[in-house]
Amino acid sequence: MSETAPHLVVRGVSKRFGATTVLDRVDLTIGRGELVTLLGPSGCGKTTLLRLVAGLAQPDQGQIELAGRDITNTPPHRRNVGVVFQNYALFPHLTVAGNVAFGLKVRGAPKAEIDAAVERALSLVKLGHLGGRRISALSGGQQQRVALARAIAVEPDVLLFDEALSALDRKLREEMQVELRRLLQDVKATAIFVTHDQDEALTMSDRVAVMNKGRIEQLAEPRELYARPASLFALNFVGLSTRIPGTVVGGKDGKVEVDTRVGRLSAVGTFQSGSPVVVATRPEQLRLDAAGEANAVSGRVRSVVFQGSRTLIEVDAGAGESLLAELSGRDAAMPRVHDEIRLAWPIAETFAFAAEPHA
Amino acid sequence: MTEVALIAPPVAPSVDRERLTAFGFALPSLIIILGVFALPLLLLLGVSVIGPDGLTLVNYQRLLGTPYYLGVIWNSLRFGLLTTAITFAISYPAAFALARARGALRSLLLATLFLPLAASVIVKAFAWTILLRSDGIVNETLLALGIIEDPIRMIFTETALVVGAVNIFLPFMILPIYANVAQLDARYAEAAATLGASPLVTFFRVIVPLTLPGIIAGVALVFSLSVSAYVVPTLLIGEKYPTLATTIAKAYLLAREPGFGAAAGAVLLVIAIAVVTLSSRLSREPK
Repeated sequence: MSETAPHLVVRGVSKRFGATTVLDRVDLTIGRGELVTLLGPSGCGKTTLLRLVAGLAQPDQGQIELAGRDITNTPPHRRNVGVVFQNYALFPHLTVAGNVAFGLKVRGAPKAEIDAAVERALSLVKLGHLGGRRISALSGGQQQRVALARAIAVEPDVLLFDEALSALDRKLREEMQVELRRLLQDVKATAIFVTHDQDEALTMSDRVAVMNKGRIEQLAEPRELYARPASLFALNFVGLSTRIPGTVVGGKDGKVEVDTRVGRLSAVGTFQSGSPVVVATRPEQLRLDAAGEANAVSGRVRSVVFQGSRTLIEVDAGAGESLLAELSGRDAAMPRVHDEIRLAWPIAETFAFAAEPHA
Repeated sequence: MTEVALIAPPVAPSVDRERLTAFGFALPSLIIILGVFALPLLLLLGVSVIGPDGLTLVNYQRLLGTPYYLGVIWNSLRFGLLTTAITFAISYPAAFALARARGALRSLLLATLFLPLAASVIVKAFAWTILLRSDGIVNETLLALGIIEDPIRMIFTETALVVGAVNIFLPFMILPIYANVAQLDARYAEAAATLGASPLVTFFRVIVPLTLPGIIAGVALVFSLSVSAYVVPTLLIGEKYPTLATTIAKAYLLAREPGFGAAAGAVLLVIAIAVVTLSSRLSREPK
């Protein structure tokens, strides 16, 4: 984060494939020991950015520095990066230990040193007993660990994960998220994850870069990203929300009044009168019992989805608009489908975003 | 317990039925292999060891004890090895080029590889004699251009033989290697690069081992084809370069010595089987 020295610096990097601009003047600075996720839909440029850092593709413009060196024109084998690929790309002709030893062997390390490093890396991922196995004899989760051990064994300056967990089933993936984060913190690794999975991004990273159309829309800690999304895209991509379009009719002190099809709402934001905006809030802000300064909208319950610790309620507010409320299990009077209810939420947790034609 | 008892009995017969079905599917090819291949092979081996006075090894003694016939075996081996080595040297890069080619170019290249397979070996060997003989196209062109003053002797040399054989057997090497290279995931090379391997190291430590099955298939095919080739040596070099295949033909067709021809056939078979076995052993060797 900001208190550590910059370790990986991406400066004004652009990349085009033919007529398509995949990355558009991207800047990104990552501190030593920081875990950063590039989060975005497919085609947003996140994988391309990772490949540029790894040296597997060349930027058309801009500069990349790693550990104080300008590596923009350095070929991948001289960059000292570790990559965990989506399909792991483990060498099928080598054993588990052979895979992990590969990076050290090609660096010409002495055998004793290689053996020690392989053992250390394999025990770190809890596969110390499987060194002699063939890759094809491993489960998906075990292969994932071998890929990680192989990348860690060379002690790279930065670890790059390209959708590395996406091939695992949900339960294993969630376990690996927690375990991987702990492991990376233990070895003080600097890492970049590329993912389209928001849960993975929020769980694993110190900071998340939300990417859209070749640009970083927001770079923030997970908590801030969720509570204070910088754009409608970031709001949409991370977490659930209620979104109501409208037109600004006035405002002062960083707040705006917005006319919508379900009435007038107040929101945090600065816009000129007449601007088309989208008013948004997170579902856990909505309450059945309104109190204090609040927005309020009435409607008919369309669906009630029980999810254990929480219940998601979708309310038809009329005029084609709907509200999404998350009520905790302790709320005494849980509404039923077709009930007429009134939901309220604090103005301080209501945000106005410039309306995007595509959103 | 009742449920187990109800379910258990049908399981065992169904396994048997599966085996029976598999055997049924294999039966036609089994009959062909046994009747058309194994049986004549046994007859051949029998003929090679049966003389007028019962069992004899005289045919093998003649083959392995006469310098002339040792020379014949050496010719076959040398021709097979040379052809295989040169074909491999050309085919390996060609297979990569083919795998990288896209769209129409790839279709065109594949067609040029497949089409010659439709033409008879005899036609292709004759084509080479037309190209290479003293008044052939190559000599006429060189003479017309003034590069040479007298025709070069090309036909009926070992060079002509190997050049022709390489050309004819090329598809049998390129295709298996190409099939292997085409399905090679580019991420292996990328992973090797990020782990610190230079392109050269990546080639020898990752690309070559991963394409070994294709290499071995191609080498086994081309070696067994060339070591046993009859038409190609007969047309491109003739009498002065006797091989096991031409010796077999001579023994049967001219000398009427079926026992000796059978023995030569057995030796040829042993050489081919040895190479193919060695190849498949190599490809399964765990590191």
